[in-house]
Amino acid sequence: MAGNILITIALVLSIYSMAMYYFAFRGAKNTINLARISYHGMSIIVFIISTYFWYLIFTHQYQYKYIYEYSGHELPIGYLISSFWAGQEGSFLLWLLLAAIIGILLQSYTAKRGELEYRVMAVYTLSTSFLLIMICPLLKSPFAMIWSESVPIIASSINPDIMNLDVIKHAFDHILASNQQPTFADIYPILQSNNIPLNEFLLTGKGLNPLLQNFWMQIHPPILFAGFALTTVPFAFSIAALMKNEYKDWVKQSFPWMLAAAGVLGLGIMMGGYWAYGVLGWGGYWAWDPVENSSLVPWLISVAAIHTFLVQRKTQNKENSLGRFTRTNLILSILTYVTVIYSTFLTRSGILGNASVHSFIDQGRAVFIFLVLFILTFLGLGAGLIIYRWKSFVSDVPAEESLLSRELALFTAAVALCASAFIVCFGTSMAMVDVTVPAALYNEMHVPIAILIGLLNGISLAIRWKSSSFEDVWKKSMWSVGLSLIATAIAIFSGVHNVMMILLFLTSIFTLIVNTEIAIKIMRGNTHKIGAYVAHIGIALFLLGVIGSAGYSKEQNIDLIRGKKTDVLGYNMTFTGYHPLKNDPKKFAFNVKIDQGGSAKVVQPVMYQSEMNGGLMREPDILEGLLRDVYISPLGFDEAGVDVNNKGPKQEILSVTASIKPFVSLVWIGVIVMSLGFVVAMLRRLKESLIVSSFS
Amino acid sequence: MNKKYLLGGIVVVLFLGMTMFLFMQSGMQYESDFSKVMTKSKAIKATGHWVKEKSYDQNLQDKTFTFVMADEKGTEMKVNFKGVMPNNFEMASSIVVTGKYENGVFHASDILTKCPSKYQDQKSANS
Repeated sequence: MAGNILITIALVLSIYSMAMYYFAFRGAKNTINLARISYHGMSIIVFIISTYFWYLIFTHQYQYKYIYEYSGHELPIGYLISSFWAGQEGSFLLWLLLAAIIGILLQSYTAKRGELEYRVMAVYTLSTSFLLIMICPLLKSPFAMIWSESVPIIASSINPDIMNLDVIKHAFDHILASNQQPTFADIYPILQSNNIPLNEFLLTGKGLNPLLQNFWMQIHPPILFAGFALTTVPFAFSIAALMKNEYKDWVKQSFPWMLAAAGVLGLGIMMGGYWAYGVLGWGGYWAWDPVENSSLVPWLISVAAIHTFLVQRKTQNKENSLGRFTRTNLILSILTYVTVIYSTFLTRSGILGNASVHSFIDQGRAVFIFLVLFILTFLGLGAGLIIYRWKSFVSDVPAEESLLSRELALFTAAVALCASAFIVCFGTSMAMVDVTVPAALYNEMHVPIAILIGLLNGISLAIRWKSSSFEDVWKKSMWSVGLSLIATAIAIFSGVHNVMMILLFLTSIFTLIVNTEIAIKIMRGNTHKIGAYVAHIGIALFLLGVIGSAGYSKEQNIDLIRGKKTDVLGYNMTFTGYHPLKNDPKKFAFNVKIDQGGSAKVVQPVMYQSEMNGGLMREPDILEGLLRDVYISPLGFDEAGVDVNNKGPKQEILSVTASIKPFVSLVWIGVIVMSLGFVVAMLRRLKESLIVSSFS
Repeated sequence: MNKKYLLGGIVVVLFLGMTMFLFMQSGMQYESDFSKVMTKSKAIKATGHWVKEKSYDQNLQDKTFTFVMADEKGTEMKVNFKGVMPNNFEMASSIVVTGKYENGVFHASDILTKCPSKYQDQKSANS
């Protein structure tokens, strides 16, 4: 009850704050303090709601539907923490919590920049209001009571003593006789009339899905949702600029936020990939699953925007002008957030019911309609204002038409990124008409884009702003091209034969060399400018990791007989036995000794029978190395063993899929390096954004 | 200026056209009616549920996993999957298999299990 009341108050405050900020923007004198107070009030209440929700989870208050469905008595504290966001309602609350925190930073950032705060916060509070409506009691509150909806009763969570009471038994028999599943809505009144507290009736909740019981579940959603929340900020800046019809300063002000959003979102996406790879045993880190795709799309657009932001910043320095690509930047900023909402719609409305590894059910018509309204509002606001102001941001900078200008290179990079975003977005949306696009097609379509991005990434640094001569570019990049060709020759010699892969390798290594060279030069001087190069080194490493792991992995299914050395893909593998895990004796670790060239290591994939769902769960284990991972995914274990050749005693056999994945480590390292680059760039742009433009 | 837009426009249109064409070509259709699945010659994604009463057969030597699936109307179909039983198979509320129906058996290259545990109740698993 208290939770729902608090949500409602927060919603009222959020809407009130929005209105007061809007009035302040329209010139009202005395509303700004009210707006600020109500925004902070809203944030504080959201903290309280979240803390209270955690408190309810920790104290196992199963009268709340969400807590019954996603947690249980046996869960250790770490998993209780992540039960918070195991389901739909909780993950929206998490998103809201992070948005509230980011909003506080945004408020203080914009307040230092005059009346910017009024516009930006008016838009930002519109978004927090929508998030609050999503979790309000009328839609999907995390505080819904267990008897308010038809939650079926699972026998394993009930106290048998109470179950055996005549009155309860009778009630159950009655319901079962009519061929229906007993729900809490049926039983609760009976418990009440017999003075049996619900927490005595229920011994435990349904528990957390075993796939979610790991470290990555604790860290991945908060980072991803922080990224989502951050994308609201460039959207708000963009709308704020359109509201005032003033397009000079907003890029500078929005830049650090866009970088932060892209950095955090990128990191979050990678963590999801690592989770799939290292824990869920998908074998790979990217399956082009709708849920993965839908967080990738806004990231691609935000990265495209960063490049066109840069051009606008650069071209507005010299004269008192808007700079180039004002319109593009506004549109990309809007699209970044709109695609975040669209992703949310795809993955949360139940519309993709068929197509994903992630499970969804129909969330009901109200949620569906609301999510459509959410998209339409923000898309309509953005598109409407852009059309309304269409004529006002005609660039006053003469466009450079030189083919060899850095502006054009950056713009082309942005186009390539948007093309990728379109492919992914369109392909994922096909699932709405029950068609799924095979992963292979996504891969094929992205190879040429990646080659182009690699090329631009390196060559653009040799090209000057405005225009440069071909000789100049060649002179600058001669050495890097030479080195890249040598490296590529080595790669071809060591087994890379596919033409597209050779090209991708060439451009990736070229990017790596060019950017490293510049980064080293910069290290001696203007270190604060190093961000972009670090990020580009990251993306080059990432692409190399993708080439190695996606193009040149080897895989083999093999039966390992206990105690017997078997040669698998050049490694000697021996199954040496199994033992229960110390902290969880129901799970078994299977020891596989792997040796190659004298050094032996043991990996321990895990299998167990899940109590929650009765299924056999398998967790891979990986021998991670810089050059390659040895990935051991368990398939099954034959205890009685199979009689080999019908003689001798039966032997225990562990069946596994073993795979060698070259350079997977570069995928993770690449993304981490890239995110670091984003952070450095963000700090630089943050400083810049404080400098009052001398031209204005 | 106009030329630039024209050129850009053509590139964009070509790109969009190609993308859509490729997606339509290789996109895989879902089908929940097995009588239709059995007549299609193209690879397809069939959705239905595992018939528990008919159990399953996991052959660890050949790495084949065989089971019987049924659609909503109750039409049954034998499925042969090259691989092992996926995580969560036994408790999945519904199953999506990717492959082709040939000679009385659906040869699946991929199995997707939908878990009822996360967002749904056990009811649908039993029904």
